[in-house]
Amino acid sequence: MDVAARIHEQLSNCGIKLAASLPDDWVAPLIDRIATDNRIRHVRVAREAEAIAICSGAFFGGVRAVALMGATGLLTCTGELATLNLRHQIPVFLIVSQRGSIDDHRIYQEVQGRRTIPLLQAYDFPYHILDRPDDVSSIPDAFETCRMQKRPFVLFLTRRLVKGGGTA
Amino acid sequence: MRAREAIDLLARHRGDAIAVCALGMAANEWWAATKSEDSFYMHGAMGFAASFALGLALSLPQAPVWLINADGSLCMNLGCLLTEASQAARNLKHFVLDNGVYQTVGGLPMVNDGRTDYAAIARAAGFPRARSIEALTDLERQLPAIVGEDGPALTVLRLEREQGFLRTPPMTYEGPEMKYRFGRALERRFGIEVFGPQGY
Repeated sequence: MDVAARIHEQLSNCGIKLAASLPDDWVAPLIDRIATDNRIRHVRVAREAEAIAICSGAFFGGVRAVALMGATGLLTCTGELATLNLRHQIPVFLIVSQRGSIDDHRIYQEVQGRRTIPLLQAYDFPYHILDRPDDVSSIPDAFETCRMQKRPFVLFLTRRLVKGGGTA
Repeated sequence: MRAREAIDLLARHRGDAIAVCALGMAANEWWAATKSEDSFYMHGAMGFAASFALGLALSLPQAPVWLINADGSLCMNLGCLLTEASQAARNLKHFVLDNGVYQTVGGLPMVNDGRTDYAAIARAAGFPRARSIEALTDLERQLPAIVGEDGPALTVLRLEREQGFLRTPPMTYEGPEMKYRFGRALERRFGIEVFGPQGY
């Protein structure tokens, strides 16, 4: 089973029924896979903060949801995460590519690499990093922690996890 | 028509719709007219009441959901119209309070200075139904049909510009309390579980 299939399986185990997404190339295989699952309502958005607010609305409909995006997209929606989710203590579960790592040799991802986690720490948003295939089994625990923490929770996917070894 | 007149009329035709209100004038006026706890009043995330309402509508297809949006918020996230049109939630109705100014901060003009036709934008984004209404009498006449039609549907309410600040006070609770009041109201009404057995 490939990594996207493993993550998809664990999201199903969490009871996820709605996914809102804007792709980057690391999360695209997972989004493609979820889009073919007719048990999950898939919402393609034009901007990442839409995904945050859609998942927040779904929370009040009693529907478990996930927002999927790249690290750059995460940076664009920190204001909404703060003024909607932090302000009202609404949990929102995000799966985000951890761009800008030392094995991510894309110059336009460099800024995100060293600033994203300090930014999350400044907002006091919890996060967890999936780096190896065996880590994927921790997704249900991460989802439950998100619910208990009542705030944004970011689950990062590393390049090693989604692309295998080597650099790009 | 004036904002309060339009909101009062919407409130009288609301029936059992759940409302999601953009922050500022829309939220404050809806609270003044309805005092309803099965409404969610945005306090931030300007522009994203539309996305919140869409997520709610998709998750509760049995519930009519009304979005009370405002022109300033709509312009901050015009892309929401593409997403809303593509998802085609039949239970979602989108109202836009359009007065051309940022009323909550004192009536400062918006970027477009009255040039923009939001209903036309919505139609171009894929909305099957969108219209603008200027007169209160026209709104009163058309509302029963608007309430009865399938979403996604967008209705722009062209409001008179009012001078200075509208001093309508905001709802009397906020933050986590709003979350729990709104969530518990939906749990009672629809028999759903928003919060788990331990309350989170």
